[in-house]
Amino acid sequence: MSPALIGVCGVLVLFALLILRVPVWIALVLVGFFGNVIVLGWQGAFALAGTTPFDVASSYTLSVVPLFILMGEVASESRLSGELFKAARVILSGFRGGLAVATLAASALFGAVSGSSLANAATMTRMALPELRKAGYDDGLATGCIAAGGSTDILIPPSIILVIYAAIAELSVPKLLAAGLIPGLVLTVLYMAVALAIAHLKPHYAPDNETHTLREKIAALREPWQFLALFVVTIGGIYAGVFSPTEAASIGAFGAILLGVLGRRLGLKDLRRAIENSVVVSGVLFVIVMGANLFSFFIVQTHLPDLLLDTARAFNLSGLAVMMTIIVGYILLGCFLEGIGMVLITVPVFQPLIVKFGYDPIWFAIVVVVMVEVGLIHPPVGMNLFVIQAQAPDVKITAIYRGIIPFLVAPLILIVLMFLFPGLALWLPKVLYG
Amino acid sequence: MTLRNRLIVVADTLQRIQLWLAAIALLVLMMVTVADVFLRYLFNAPVRGSYDMVESLLLVFVFNGMAATFFGRRHIVIDLVDSFVGPRATVALVRIADTLSVVCIGLLMWAMRVPAVQAYQYGDIKLELHLPIWVLWAVAFAGLVGTIFCAIVALVARPATTDVGHA
Repeated sequence: MSPALIGVCGVLVLFALLILRVPVWIALVLVGFFGNVIVLGWQGAFALAGTTPFDVASSYTLSVVPLFILMGEVASESRLSGELFKAARVILSGFRGGLAVATLAASALFGAVSGSSLANAATMTRMALPELRKAGYDDGLATGCIAAGGSTDILIPPSIILVIYAAIAELSVPKLLAAGLIPGLVLTVLYMAVALAIAHLKPHYAPDNETHTLREKIAALREPWQFLALFVVTIGGIYAGVFSPTEAASIGAFGAILLGVLGRRLGLKDLRRAIENSVVVSGVLFVIVMGANLFSFFIVQTHLPDLLLDTARAFNLSGLAVMMTIIVGYILLGCFLEGIGMVLITVPVFQPLIVKFGYDPIWFAIVVVVMVEVGLIHPPVGMNLFVIQAQAPDVKITAIYRGIIPFLVAPLILIVLMFLFPGLALWLPKVLYG
Repeated sequence: MTLRNRLIVVADTLQRIQLWLAAIALLVLMMVTVADVFLRYLFNAPVRGSYDMVESLLLVFVFNGMAATFFGRRHIVIDLVDSFVGPRATVALVRIADTLSVVCIGLLMWAMRVPAVQAYQYGDIKLELHLPIWVLWAVAFAGLVGTIFCAIVALVARPATTDVGHA
């Protein structure tokens, strides 16, 4: 059997294990290890499995991950997001759909200090859903806004998934964090357009009657200053080259704790819970990255991407056709794979392929993350939808499904825009880092 | 108290201790980096060895933080199959996953022993801190021993619940 066919078998076994409820990290370790045994022999496979956990656990690049998780957890526990939502609803009041747009704006801003989509969706469900329902919003529209808004979190820096992607694909973390910003903002605007269109077409879904004076709106602008300060210092610091990502994440986490304590919004219990959650979530992610490293090495050894390239050329497929196939594949994978798993399993296979077709790996990373976002919100298994339902069990899952469907148009429009204008993802990294 | 309950109590205590070791490592990592940045920009006197400290503390954090993840079965799982098979089959799959969890951690520990011994024999050190690298391997093994114990207790003593973790 040729190495490439061994690679194909490895991928198939991986999916079989995942479907049989084997945790993602175990499936990656098993396929990666035994795949390397077949390709390299026992000695080589053991050598790799012996050094990988140590290398991953002492990787300076990956130290960003728990620190950004801590920053987001602290921001969530200290209820900074509540103030953010209050400010957004005042500033964006006075027109139909204003509260829905405020929810999306607050989600995007919360995404600027949090790197987890699920944490964002959970937090905004607690903050925004009762207010949206009190204002008479349709459950579907309300939950659709929250789920869609939460998904922008993984694109707007700091994004945990982009940091892990960078580590696996050997790309620059600052460049990827820069590449995600403009598509993240464009996607937020597209989601807002969808919410406004629904409010316009079905006025009874969004019966806004809240109005505030200009003075109140200007006063409300002062409220989100903590979020803006944290974002400017951390992400601005990385963009400006003042801090390394680890330094920025440390300052961000420290700043979030300081703001919470000084503002008396963060008690000892809240801090403890935030730290405990950060440890557990990071533990989950680090073992997956260890497994992904083994799996990635196996895929590289099998030259599977070369086989895919030869197949594409045999069928005379253009680069665009290959990208379209990959995007459809991601939509299907998103039906049953979790975001981080989806990235870590597919990137070692697809990235070398698309690079050979002339696509930029940074641009591709953003396309992949947008597709992960789609996976987070599309029925029947979008994780954000389940998070919302877990937080608000009285909202029917069918209402949540109905509510999210119009929002799925937005990331697909973003993908089209990224094909037409690759600069959406590539301009900022080029300006900042050349 | 039955043996099963005793095992759960011991594992729970162990994972809590390891969780707090990881938490302390994370907070120290954060403070060292913040201090390094402030001292570098304000007094042009960065913390010596901060890079090595970050790497070493991250290692303490990761290998101790894993115990809570394993004890609580917090791993990311694709649970689509739950709706197609009965509860008994699901429980069996959880148990298989628990067993594979122990096997995989054991496999990694077994594989890690060679580079750990080599680090000791060759006397490798961290360049800035002059910390012998075998010390870090020892920390990694200590963390993994706790993790594998928690994984074994999850397998033999904890009920096979179907809660799944999400990152």
